[in-house]
Amino acid sequence: MVLEVKRPRPMWEILFSTHHTDIGLLYIFTSLAFLFLAGALAMAIRTELFLPGLQVIPDSNTFSRIFTVHGTTMLLLWVLPFSAGVGNYLIPIMVRYKDMAWPKLNAVAFWMIPVAGALIWIGFSDTGWTAYPPYSIIRAPGPAADMWIFGAKILGISSVLGAINFVVTILKMKHPDLPLMKISLFAWATLTTSFMIMVSLPTFAAALIMLYTDRLGVSGFFNPAMGGDPIAYQHLFWFTFHPEVYIFLIPAVGMLYEMIPKFSRKPIFSYQSGVTAFVLLSIIGFASWAHHMLATGMSFTEKTVFMVGTLAAVPASAMHVFNWIATMWGGRIKFAAPMMFGVGGIMLFFASGAGGVVNTALPLDFITHDSYWVVGHFHLILMGTVSLTLTGFLYYLFPLMTGRMYNERAAKVHFVLAFVGVILVFITQHVLGLYGMPRRYFDYVPIPEWIAMNQIATVGAWIVGLSYVLMLVNLIKSAVSGKHADMNDPFKIGEEYYDYTRREPHH
Amino acid sequence: MGHATMEWVYVGVVISLLTYVGAESWNVERIVEHAPADAKTIKVTGQQWFWTFEHEDGKQEVGELHVTKGVPYKFELVSMDVIHSFNIPDYTVLLDVVPGRVNTIWNLFDMTGEYLIQCREYCGMLHYNMKAKLFVEEPSAGTEQASSAQDASVGGSATEGASNNTGASAPAATTAAATLKIPQGASVQGNPSYDPDSLTVKVGDTIAVDNEDSAPHTVTNGKDATDPNMGKLFDTSIINAGDSSEIVTADLQPGEYPFFCSVHPYMTGSMTVQ
Repeated sequence: MVLEVKRPRPMWEILFSTHHTDIGLLYIFTSLAFLFLAGALAMAIRTELFLPGLQVIPDSNTFSRIFTVHGTTMLLLWVLPFSAGVGNYLIPIMVRYKDMAWPKLNAVAFWMIPVAGALIWIGFSDTGWTAYPPYSIIRAPGPAADMWIFGAKILGISSVLGAINFVVTILKMKHPDLPLMKISLFAWATLTTSFMIMVSLPTFAAALIMLYTDRLGVSGFFNPAMGGDPIAYQHLFWFTFHPEVYIFLIPAVGMLYEMIPKFSRKPIFSYQSGVTAFVLLSIIGFASWAHHMLATGMSFTEKTVFMVGTLAAVPASAMHVFNWIATMWGGRIKFAAPMMFGVGGIMLFFASGAGGVVNTALPLDFITHDSYWVVGHFHLILMGTVSLTLTGFLYYLFPLMTGRMYNERAAKVHFVLAFVGVILVFITQHVLGLYGMPRRYFDYVPIPEWIAMNQIATVGAWIVGLSYVLMLVNLIKSAVSGKHADMNDPFKIGEEYYDYTRREPHH
Repeated sequence: MGHATMEWVYVGVVISLLTYVGAESWNVERIVEHAPADAKTIKVTGQQWFWTFEHEDGKQEVGELHVTKGVPYKFELVSMDVIHSFNIPDYTVLLDVVPGRVNTIWNLFDMTGEYLIQCREYCGMLHYNMKAKLFVEEPSAGTEQASSAQDASVGGSATEGASNNTGASAPAATTAAATLKIPQGASVQGNPSYDPDSLTVKVGDTIAVDNEDSAPHTVTNGKDATDPNMGKLFDTSIINAGDSSEIVTADLQPGEYPFFCSVHPYMTGSMTVQ
């Protein structure tokens, strides 16, 4: 396919290209750059919390800025663009069309991301990635918070444009001979995700505008001093960002459906079950947003409704897990690095799902809410499941992108380090939350248990950081001088790989 | 799909587990949701970055809360600025404190001792330091008056309504040799914090501190909140808006002493004792 390193083209030809593989490459490069930037911030946070008192971060304000930018970047500039990049690479191949439906729109959607990223990073806001008012209205210093608002706004537009493009490509540009119930489950994942983006994102987009006019002082939607209600923002925000959790997750689920059958050398256990679970999840995902707000003083009825809505999303996720396990069952599994990441991701998916049930069970939520339990929980899904799967898929696509193989042994070491590290950090943080440590604390009371668990988590974070540096070295070195991959079956599993010959930039 | 039965069984098991979790949670939450009718009300005010408590009898406490073991308490939570979250981790008391709303939560404390009250919702620079102490005390043998009197004597900072005497030691009779003002707007970072921000006094002088700002402040010795010796030489503790306090220098050695506000640590000044 792109094989950039083997047959180099001038940089500007890729930058100004609208071909789906080039855009896909740009998405993946950008998202990886942001992964490492935000990862560095995570290392700073964990190192700061190694001991009570001041360590490496000069003051609490800087600390708040760091966790804000870390969160925003990891979610909106790493997970989302990476999935969009993989979608760009694979969707046209999967639906047998020459490109995305609207190549120029595709390029526009991509080029919004570096702009938004620059706004968020240069501003370095301190509102927390949720930007709850009234803090974000009356206390957060400008222009940082305003730049954050515009950055998030632009990312929202970019996402919606990308989603429209995917939906049209899959539904309208699909080859006439290819029925919808025969396209790859990754294409199904992208399709349902794109619909979810189009339905959920407008509320957040509206909330951001209201937040901005509130900051300007011309309106008071969320400012109690002007008759507004800060809880209204939280409803609008989570109506977007709880479905967004599934928007982060579902593409990773689709990638697992790509990798698990191939490396198990077996067909998928049940294609229909996978499609059903995608569609179910994308609908029920909208019924649970206010479980993020169970502690804001909602009525008993509201709390019950959102607890039930949250629990209802679990069977659909559980169906995916069943499907993967049943696919692997009795298969001749080859544990190449991508498969290891995939299986690791599934194991952690189970753990984080169980933790999620604890979160939503009403009386228990008041133990875990806004504590390190929650930090552990959502990192376990976003780092443990989503990011590990994305990383595995990056290895899986590496031959397609470069025509070369990465170093398998280094990739396996990467997996073992990352997996152990993730467990050390995030399972420990669950327990730390049960001991009562709140999230977003710059400094903490020197309770011996808190210190011990923070230290375990910090060491785990260093291990994860180290493992990703190893990946970076491996990928750069292999892209330049790795072994040439057998492009028909680079992993030697006797299964079909992607069509690598379609690299004919038509512009 | 020959193995469909297996998947249905699996989905059935998952759904029944979830149904059990949901029903049990609903049942427990239903029981703990509403405060008993005889609960005593404590008004809790959260603001950047400290807690204030007002008992039913009008008694106010800042940064400390004294309650009686075995008595149900209903907490009415209000915020003066941004969203906070009132949390006593040892008793699973947790509810957001939302400006413009009054949230209520109740609890019955069944063990005496000292517990931590903290803020769980990110509220700005000193979120991590927004703490208070909860003292659960044995009910005294006598009447309610007796128990509140005991509260006042046990808790050093428990104060009666507006007559807020937080002075370190000396009674207000001594005349002040110097005055330290906290000007209006001092709580906002960048504004002048103390007037004058460096003052010179003689050993034994008493310095009157007037808080003219609309937020509470302290004058605490030390460079900042990380100073291990902060507040050891002098500390006015919380001076509410419009109130006064004083600093006694009789025990100090000549020298220069930096001080700051423990609520707003960017407010700093220094005092030279001759």
